[in-house]
Amino acid sequence: MGDLIYLIILIGVGYFIGTQVEKKHYKSIKEREAKFLYLPVVSSENLLEEKVVNEARLVYGNAVISTDYFKSILAGLRNLLGGEVSAFETLLDRARREAILRLKEKAQGADIILNLRVETCRISQTGSSEVLAYGTAVYYKK
Amino acid sequence: MKFTPRGLKSNLNISPTSAVKDFFELVIKILGFILVIYVLLGFAVDYITPRISTNTERKLGKLFSAKFERKERTHAELQLQQILDELIEKSQGLPPFTYKVYVEEAKDVNALALPGGNIVVLSALLKEVDSKNALAMVLAHELGHFYHRDYLRGLGRSLVFLLISSTLFGSDSSVSRVVTNAVTNAEMRFSQVQEKAADLYALDLLNKTYGGVAGATDFFEKMARKEKLWSVFYIFASHSYPASRIVAIKENIKLKGYVMGQKIPLAVEIKEDFLKNN
Repeated sequence: MGDLIYLIILIGVGYFIGTQVEKKHYKSIKEREAKFLYLPVVSSENLLEEKVVNEARLVYGNAVISTDYFKSILAGLRNLLGGEVSAFETLLDRARREAILRLKEKAQGADIILNLRVETCRISQTGSSEVLAYGTAVYYKK
Repeated sequence: MKFTPRGLKSNLNISPTSAVKDFFELVIKILGFILVIYVLLGFAVDYITPRISTNTERKLGKLFSAKFERKERTHAELQLQQILDELIEKSQGLPPFTYKVYVEEAKDVNALALPGGNIVVLSALLKEVDSKNALAMVLAHELGHFYHRDYLRGLGRSLVFLLISSTLFGSDSSVSRVVTNAVTNAEMRFSQVQEKAADLYALDLLNKTYGGVAGATDFFEKMARKEKLWSVFYIFASHSYPASRIVAIKENIKLKGYVMGQKIPLAVEIKEDFLKNN
């Protein structure tokens, strides 16, 4: 019985704290995305318009986001029956957007970021995931 | 080509389903699945139990006795064994095992019948019995379980269930522990009917062995008094002593016209050994 109560408390705490943290993170992501909206990031390898390039350099951003207990249990249950693991969707979405935002922050003053690549890997057994975004920041000759 | 910045309006990468709804749906589905297996397993165990040969059970029993076997048997064990042997001599229809009783240090007041003729008496139980007859009643009750082969049924389902949960979640996970506890509780509640049947078997055997049924309800009455306080937690107890069992025993004494007879005190050295054990 004690074990069951312990499990329910962990799931409950995981859910409430996890939801709060996620809400806060999404708010910050949306704000920064609006702020950096002027800077285009594309997967194209070439410039989209004829411009004289002054400088081009590698920029990258990475983010590691961890799951909460509620999401781990939910994903664990999903593993038993199969289907879409929607519990981890927000986790990866946050990591991906955060990594691209960090890449943009690193490319301060650039006119465009070309050749964007996004990679992901699992960091630990507990369900943290890392997303690495990298690309080429291009500065036009003014 | 001109770049026009546009913000995200909606996010297709995130399913619109509610995580909480998803969670409860999954839990209900999995519990339902487990319940179906549990019921099917019950039938399977009922089918298999009478078909397990005494030879197979003896082999299984060795797994258990290896856990309790010590080089030297304590005074208490020897005395308990003597009482057990007296009972077995008068008994009928027991499977042909070498019955052996072990005393295990534990705080729970309980005794267990394990496959292959192994009986384990937990040391806390020894503190609660006042006479040889009461102790014999407890041992005879366990023999009743052997007579009906109840323990195989209970153990069978728990064992298979534990196997399933440990395969799914790993034997060390908290989920497995929860499942094990839940299974054990459910199993014990299931076996209340079997407990009563074992009580009645014990009563007959006690009468046959000592020519009377003095002390038959002593231990149960003592436990019932103690458990009054804890009646809320009743369903969680691994072994329980409800008043209905005492009533059933008393009714049966009247029905069969058993005489009470004399209570035999416990030998002094057992008492001392019991105290040492506690």
